[in-house]
Amino acid sequence: MKKRTLLLLLLALVWGLGAGAARASAQAPTDESLFREAKLLVFDKSWQTALDKIDELIDRFPSSPLAGQALFYKGECLSGLVGRERDALRAYKSYIRLEDAKPSLVEESEGSIVDLAFDLYEGGDASALREIESRLDHPSKVVRYYAAYKLSLVSDKREAAKAAPVLSRIVETEKDPELLDRARIALMRVSPGSLRSAEDRAHRAGSTARLLRIRIRDKGREVFALAIPFALADLALNAMDEDDKAVLRRKGYDVAKIIDQLSKSKESILRIAGDDGSIIEIWIE
Amino acid sequence: MRRNTMTKTDWAAVLSGDRDAAGGRAMTPGDGDLPQRRAEADAIDRILEETAAVRSEIRQAVASVNWDALPAVIAGRALAADGRAGRGAQTRAAGWLAAFRMKPALAGLAAGLVVGAAAMYFALKAPETRPGSGGAYYASGEFLDRAELEMARRNTLDYLDKGQYMLLDVFESAGPGPVLPAAVRSARARDLLQKKKYLNAQLEGLRMVKAKAICDQIEMLFLELSQIDGELTAAELGKIRGLVEERQLLLKINLVRKELESGV
Repeated sequence: MKKRTLLLLLLALVWGLGAGAARASAQAPTDESLFREAKLLVFDKSWQTALDKIDELIDRFPSSPLAGQALFYKGECLSGLVGRERDALRAYKSYIRLEDAKPSLVEESEGSIVDLAFDLYEGGDASALREIESRLDHPSKVVRYYAAYKLSLVSDKREAAKAAPVLSRIVETEKDPELLDRARIALMRVSPGSLRSAEDRAHRAGSTARLLRIRIRDKGREVFALAIPFALADLALNAMDEDDKAVLRRKGYDVAKIIDQLSKSKESILRIAGDDGSIIEIWIE
Repeated sequence: MRRNTMTKTDWAAVLSGDRDAAGGRAMTPGDGDLPQRRAEADAIDRILEETAAVRSEIRQAVASVNWDALPAVIAGRALAADGRAGRGAQTRAAGWLAAFRMKPALAGLAAGLVVGAAAMYFALKAPETRPGSGGAYYASGEFLDRAELEMARRNTLDYLDKGQYMLLDVFESAGPGPVLPAAVRSARARDLLQKKKYLNAQLEGLRMVKAKAICDQIEMLFLELSQIDGELTAAELGKIRGLVEERQLLLKINLVRKELESGV
C-alpha cells in the first residue's frame, strides 16, 4: 500500500513537471517572436519597451541571425529616447560595421548618424560636427547629399558654408527636382554667390540663369525684397506672406497666372497695388 | 589755339561709365589738335583700365571691413588714444600730416579711395534699396524658412501619395492582377525613405505635426519593404496588411492629404 502511494505520488510529480515544462516551452519567446514584438513596438514609438525586447533578444540569442539586424532597431529606439543620442550613434555604427548589414539599413543608419550628430552639435557638442563633415565625401551620393543638407542648417554660418561645394554640385548635376530645390534653398542660406555660379555653370548654353525679383513697398517704403533663381519662382510666390498673397488674390491673381505673365513678357514688371497702399512688384531679369 | 578741355560734367560721365556722353563733347577729334586729344583719350583709357583692375581689390578690401562696427572701433580708439595722448603720438600725427602736405597727389588719391570705397560699400551693403541692379541672389532667412515649409507641404503630399500607391500595390500582390516586381518595390521604398529624411526637419514644426505622425508610421512600413528583395510571403503580406488595417493608415493618409492640399 505504501509502495503504491509512493509510486502514484512519483507519477503525479513527473506528469506535473512534464506539463509545466511543455507549457514553459510553448510560452518561451524565440528570437523571431522577440524581434517581431520589438518591431511592432518601434512602429508605435514605444521606444523603451521595444529596447527591452531588443536587449533581451541580443542577450538570449547572441548568435541569432536577427541579432545583427536588432542593432539597427536598437539605434532607432535609442534615438527616440531623450539623452541616449550617443548610445544610438554607437548602435548605428556597430550595425554599419557588420558584414551582413543590409544596404537599405546601412543608408538609413548613415542618415540617422548625421541627424544625431546635428542634434548633439546644436546641443553644444562641437566635436559632433565631425561626423557630418566626414560624410561630405562619402562614396554614397545619398549620404553625401544628406550630410551637406544638414550641415547647411547648422547655426554657425562658417561651418555651414563647408556644405557649399557639395550643394553646388547638386545644383549643377542633379536631375531630381526635389533635391535640386532643396540644394538651391540651402545654398541661398549659406552661400548665395555659390548658387549664382552653380546656376550659371548649369546653363550650359552660355546664357546666365534667369532671376526672379519681388519687391513689396508699403507707403513708399520697401518692406520686402527678394532675388532668387527663376527655377524657384513657383515656390517663392507660394511662400509669400499670407497678407501679400491675399492682396494678389483680391486682384484676381494666382501664382500660375503670375508665372505665365512673367514668362510671356520677360522685360516688364508686374505691378499690383493693394487697397492698403502697398505695391507688389514682380519681374524677371 | 582753342583747347577742348573736359568739364566737370564730362568727367562725371567718364567716371560713371557713360563714355559716349563724355566723348560726344570732349573726346571727339576737332580741327587742329587731334594728336593732343588722342593722347588725352589714350590716357583716360589707361586710367579706366587701371580702375577696372583695382576694382576687384577694392571690393575685397571693402568686404574685409566690418562697416557696422567701424564707427565704434574708431571712437573707441580715439577715446583710448585721448587718455594717453603724449608727445610721441603728436609727433607721429604731425609726421603723417607733413607727409600729406608734402604729397598732395597722394592725399588726393587716398581721399578718392576712401570716398570710392564708402560709395561702393553703400552700393553693396543695401541691395534692397536698388533691387533692379546686379545679379546677386538674396532672400531673408525668414523667407527661406517659409519657402522650405511650402516645399515640405508639397513633398509631404507627394510622399503620402506615393506611400498610398505602394501600400495598395502590396495589398494587390495577394490577388491575381499585375503588381510591381519585388526589386522595383524595394527600390521605391528606399527612395521614399530618403525623401522622408529631408522632410523630418520641417515636419517637426507645429503646423505639420499630424502629417509627421502618419509619415513616421508609413516610414516603418517602407523600412520593412525595402529589406524584402523577393516576393512577399503570405505571412509578410498578412503582417503588413494587419498593421495598415488596424491603425487605419489609408484613412489617416487621406485625411492628412486633404489638410495639406488646402494649405498648411
